[in-house]
Amino acid sequence: MFKVTFASLLIETLQSLFQQGVRVKEVVKYLDHLAFKSLNIIVVCVSFAAAVTILEASFHMKLVLHDDSLVPGFASMLIVRELAVVVMSLLLAAKIGAGIAAEVGQMKISEQIDALKLLGINPFNYLVLPRLVACLIAGVLLSLIANAVCLLTAALVTTWSLDQSMAFFMTAFRRFVLMKDLGFSLIKGALFCGIIPLVSCYYGMTCEPGAGGVGRATTKSVVSSSICIIVLDFILTLVFSSFY
Amino acid sequence: MIVRSLNGLGDLLMYLGTVLRSALGSWRRREEIFDKSLLVIQQSLATTVFAGFFVGAIMTLQFTLQVQMFSALSYLGALVTSATVREVGPLLIAFLLSGKIGAFTSAELGTMKVSEQIDAIRCLGSDPIREVIVPRFLGIIIASFFLLSFGLLFSFFGGLLMATTFSGLPWEQYLSQIPRVVSGFSILSGVVKCFVFSLVIATICTYRGYTVFGGAKEVGDGVVQAATQTMIALVVADWFTTFILEGLINV
Repeated sequence: MFKVTFASLLIETLQSLFQQGVRVKEVVKYLDHLAFKSLNIIVVCVSFAAAVTILEASFHMKLVLHDDSLVPGFASMLIVRELAVVVMSLLLAAKIGAGIAAEVGQMKISEQIDALKLLGINPFNYLVLPRLVACLIAGVLLSLIANAVCLLTAALVTTWSLDQSMAFFMTAFRRFVLMKDLGFSLIKGALFCGIIPLVSCYYGMTCEPGAGGVGRATTKSVVSSSICIIVLDFILTLVFSSFY
Repeated sequence: MIVRSLNGLGDLLMYLGTVLRSALGSWRRREEIFDKSLLVIQQSLATTVFAGFFVGAIMTLQFTLQVQMFSALSYLGALVTSATVREVGPLLIAFLLSGKIGAFTSAELGTMKVSEQIDAIRCLGSDPIREVIVPRFLGIIIASFFLLSFGLLFSFFGGLLMATTFSGLPWEQYLSQIPRVVSGFSILSGVVKCFVFSLVIATICTYRGYTVFGGAKEVGDGVVQAATQTMIALVVADWFTTFILEGLINV
């Protein structure tokens, strides 16, 4: 019988990376399947989140400083450092995480993973590693897109509802957001997205038999990856804050 | 695609109307509703408290960096609490809850639908919406409202803890500015958001589960769909509520 713990999943996956390499074809397939198909949802959600941030930021600024001319600077800082990436990865945790856990869990209970082993294929190399690599790449690319869309919507909402010019937003953005903010944001994106396939594959591979088992594995994987993302966010923010 | 999504939205609203109409006479089923909400709370309380605590802590970390630039550290408590209560707290905790409650409910209802238990209820001459959906719907609303408010409370403690340990701000100072910035309206808008979000979670998840059609694979697809659609709806609802509340305060 095929047994796995989270530590052994991690170790075996990394081991198979050095022993057998990455299956590039699978990676490309999952990039399309996991990343590209989630693009539209991410764009919609992130733009709404940006609109809310601007409205809320202007409310607070008016309350504390009686003036909302600092909104573009603060909002763009908050967006790049935190908001865009976290909203994006929580969305992906639900979409990709549930999908992966259901798929792998289905394979587990129909004994396809055991069959892979019999055929001499390392299931970690075949199932986990391509998804992990695809998600790491997708994390960087998608957080770039999420940041861009979020900032663009924020700029549009600022011009529309706060009566400030687009150029003003851009100037504030250049003043407040540093290059390393963007770098940290991309690192965050990659790590958040990297944790999703690991957690979901783990829950998929430890799935109990039956349709109920797959359902439970899916729920658990969504919840655990969301919590992992929030905790990781806390740790990374703490680490990055020592660089400022 | 636009026509299809509008069509889906219309179906959803009609479903919501039916459920609300059946919910009117559900006072005599209060024990069942109470049981359901207790079950949901039991399952999700730890997750919510945990998430709320970390959300507060992260917000404090971020705001410390920004506020320090203006050497206005004494405003930290006020800003963090206000931002968390009004905006970030409800949204992020609702994200987590939609994964937890949503997936569970739509999987349960979907399995009942696929294994024809819902048709069986109809054959026995009673209304599946009244028997199965309404208790869960109301139970989820009560439970998530409670959980969201509880998560918000803990996000406050998370923020307080981080402020004293990381930013070196004594807790008296952290608390002292809060009443100046966090008005009753802010708390009210946080609570209104919690209520709207719990309504969104309950509606979409029961709807997705109820309309599953086919076999076990479709149940899985329905679960994934429920989780993603709930999240999209949450973000849109968040924007909408903020917009309306802003409008109300300006009138």
